[in-house]
Amino acid sequence: MEEMLNPHVLFVLFGIPVTKTVVSTWVVMGFLVLFSFLLTRKMRLVPTRMQNILELFVEAILHLIEDMSPGNGRKFLPLVGTLALFIGTSDVAGLVPGLKPPTSDFNTTLALALIIFFAVPFYGIKVRGWKNYLKSYFSPSPILAPFHIISEITRTFSLALRLFGNIMGEEIIIAILFLLSPLFLPLPMMLFSIFTGIIQAYIFTVLSVVYLSAAVESSGH
Amino acid sequence: MQGEILFLCITVFTAGFSIALGVMFPAMGQGKACSQALESIARQPEAAGPISRTLFVGLAMLESLAIYVLVVSFILLFANPLLKYVFK
Repeated sequence: MEEMLNPHVLFVLFGIPVTKTVVSTWVVMGFLVLFSFLLTRKMRLVPTRMQNILELFVEAILHLIEDMSPGNGRKFLPLVGTLALFIGTSDVAGLVPGLKPPTSDFNTTLALALIIFFAVPFYGIKVRGWKNYLKSYFSPSPILAPFHIISEITRTFSLALRLFGNIMGEEIIIAILFLLSPLFLPLPMMLFSIFTGIIQAYIFTVLSVVYLSAAVESSGH
Repeated sequence: MQGEILFLCITVFTAGFSIALGVMFPAMGQGKACSQALESIARQPEAAGPISRTLFVGLAMLESLAIYVLVVSFILLFANPLLKYVFK
């Protein structure tokens, strides 16, 4: 059980310790890159069946972003789509024997949340400019500026902790069920963990779009 | 009771009690949110899409409060950082 919260170091590569989480992240990354590479050979305007799968996914994310913040779909699509795809795949990767879902390590989820933490000012400044974006911190009243900053930090932590807690909690429950009755008892929980893994990826994506579009909208429009 | 045994007893009791108490209130909140969402879908079936999306986001926010309690409970049980001060 301790190993789940602090993974052991498997080997050391160029002086950097490599844990089971890092190896699982590489496998998930390799799978996603290989999958996308193989399905985008000979792309045609009228898509083949295999290309359709990827187009379906891209359009789904685009509609999701357009629903929440109309007009910003193309701008946020690379970041948000990558997050959705990576989190969705890594949540389900726990079912592959030998892999540990990378998002069940707090380091991975904190890194993903920090991406959003830095992307929000980046897009805010890129769209609205330095002065307008900084003015938005003081916007209803200057007294609210520290609360704005505190809320940015806490929502980053809450994103990370929500994803970590959900995936790690499922892992621990499955481990406990394995102790009780190994062959059939964990199966319903594993099915349920696919479902909640996809939902957590969806929630992370939706919240990222909400935070990003809040930074990009201007109150003048 | 010796100091270490007392510490272990209180830690385990706190972990169990906090998770039991800490999921009651988010569960009540989630039930209320669901019932309101169902009522408004029944009133306006064509708005079922946005309503259920908003419902899911709201449920996830409430769920995360229970997850905070769960993580504290897990840390107390499995990765307690204060153990090394008690067991010198």
